[in-house]
Amino acid sequence: MASRKILIVDDNADIRLGMHLRLKANQYETFFAADAFAGVAEARKHRPDLIILDLGLPAGDGFTVMERLKQIPFLAVIPVIVVSARDGLGNQKRAYEAGAKAFLQKPVNDAELLAVIRQALGEPARTKSPTLHDQGSV
Amino acid sequence: MKETPLQVLLVEDNAGDVRLLREMFSKERRDSFQLTHLLRMSEAETHLAKGGVDIVLLDLGLPDGHGLDTVRRAHAAAPEVPVIVLTGLDDEALAAEAMNAGAQDYLIKGQIENRALPRALRYAVERHRMQTETDLIRTNQMQFKDEFLSHVSHELRSPLTAVRQFVTILLDGLAGELKPDQREYLEIVLRNVKQLHSMINDLFEVSGVQAGKLKIELHCTSVSDAIGYAVNTLQGAAAAKGISLSSNIERILPSVCADPARLRQILVILVDNAIKFTPQNGTVTIQARTFEEDPDFLLLEVADSGCGIDPDMTERIFERLFQASNPAAADHNGLGLGLFICKDLVTRQGGKIWAHSAPGQGSIFSVTFPIFSLPKLLAPAFSEERQIERPITLVVTEIGSQTGWLSNEVRADQCRGVRELLRGSLYSDQDILFPKMDSAGPAELYIIVAITDGVGGAAICKRIRKQLDSSESLRQAGLTHTTSYRSLDPILRNPNQSMQDWLETVATQIQELMNNEISSRQVRNG
Repeated sequence: MASRKILIVDDNADIRLGMHLRLKANQYETFFAADAFAGVAEARKHRPDLIILDLGLPAGDGFTVMERLKQIPFLAVIPVIVVSARDGLGNQKRAYEAGAKAFLQKPVNDAELLAVIRQALGEPARTKSPTLHDQGSV
Repeated sequence: MKETPLQVLLVEDNAGDVRLLREMFSKERRDSFQLTHLLRMSEAETHLAKGGVDIVLLDLGLPDGHGLDTVRRAHAAAPEVPVIVLTGLDDEALAAEAMNAGAQDYLIKGQIENRALPRALRYAVERHRMQTETDLIRTNQMQFKDEFLSHVSHELRSPLTAVRQFVTILLDGLAGELKPDQREYLEIVLRNVKQLHSMINDLFEVSGVQAGKLKIELHCTSVSDAIGYAVNTLQGAAAAKGISLSSNIERILPSVCADPARLRQILVILVDNAIKFTPQNGTVTIQARTFEEDPDFLLLEVADSGCGIDPDMTERIFERLFQASNPAAADHNGLGLGLFICKDLVTRQGGKIWAHSAPGQGSIFSVTFPIFSLPKLLAPAFSEERQIERPITLVVTEIGSQTGWLSNEVRADQCRGVRELLRGSLYSDQDILFPKMDSAGPAELYIIVAITDGVGGAAICKRIRKQLDSSESLRQAGLTHTTSYRSLDPILRNPNQSMQDWLETVATQIQELMNNEISSRQVRNG
């Protein structure tokens, strides 16, 4: 099976690279966008299987991205996982209402992120990942 | 310089006193004071509410108002207007109390010297203005500080995410094999990053604590789950110090009325602290039982064999930024916010927290939580008058396996997952989730009571089904579920019935229905 495509929308280049390395090691193909506008454009271009979305972004924010994706039928169906440094209480509710599949707070635990990705993609859960160190939460 | 006259409201029913005071005012310049005189408190309230009064001279014995009550009423009508109390010679004690109730000053009738009255008025107005200003500045400062803390903790999270990500990438060998030394050092980095993360969370929490903004959602919450979570989360940290971390709980523990996430947080803070302050090879034990002193509460205790706390300090440790000056914990400097956050969270969920200790003999931290009761949980949902007429829906979700009922081994784990799913699917003010977890017998049974508002039982059912169908863990464990609903007739309130009585009737009826449901299924399931 061809590897699933994931679009990472985050304005922090280090975080994009970090996620890319982790996802690549788990056989996902990655694409990137650094602002809200590019987020939608890249989604249109690559039609990813899943989008990882930061909330604080230039040229809009994560919510505007979700709103715009909603208006385009073939993009509206792509599952979105919000990964944000913003406080969880209000934003989590808002993200779910906007159609997000999951809300994770930064600093995100990679084990959790991978589990959530698999769930959103409908892939079977793995009991043990070959490459996982960050299992515990703080 | 031309002054604007000070608008004085005199509330006094004794004609003699009024005449005396008027005389005093008449000796002042005409443009310095303007006097309005009223006889009754009710008139004064109306007048104050209109605004324009600079200061009130208030008698404490009016035909329609007595003592401190008049001061409170004046305050309620115009909180920004200072009040000077007029009192008789034998009433000085009352006057002092009036000051405590918010009066600016008091004047004793018959002892007011000519020139003293205008001075007292001017001072009172000025003092009040300064106080208001100081209060405002303080409020602004607090708000700024909270916003600042919230902003800072948010900004710190992003770079920390990158650090954590790359450390784990290296540790997992994604950039090549590591030498044992390199691995060890990176593990030290990761440990410290995690500590930093928890400090940032504390900062964020405390900004919420100060602003009273922490969100608490009360549910019927299983304490054993929360204890299990805390033990799991901190077992590693305990093991690293050779500390034995265990729990000892009554077999049948009532659920409590608490926010499950906050309960876990409280336990994690307490257990984490216990581990920090306990030397190598010590013990940390979590206990839970019904509180002997008040059976409406559940008592949770975290006991350690650590260095203990000076008895004088057992209250101060809950203050903000308090740091024990203990050499044993010198390498574990947190921000001193954990217990402060704990206390706020516990208090706001209706419980209490305290510590018992003696230096060198370990400490016991005790927390109480109100035991779950359906009426308590139902009250807010029914409290709006409009909701009385609405139908109530009972939704029952049962989880079983294809081959029979759940074995005990799969139950605990899988059903915890299901519970979380259900909670997630019922994020709505109109729903009240009542998972009857402890007495569910061979199958797990969940009962959800909802006051429907456009969302009927069928819709709630559909939502739950959808959520459960998409549960990977449920499918993998070979579990199936059935979900059914029944709409109940609105339970109307008898006009003679008090709100409280009516709420209890509703809650009792729902409780009975649920008990019937549970026992009928237990019979069916053998």
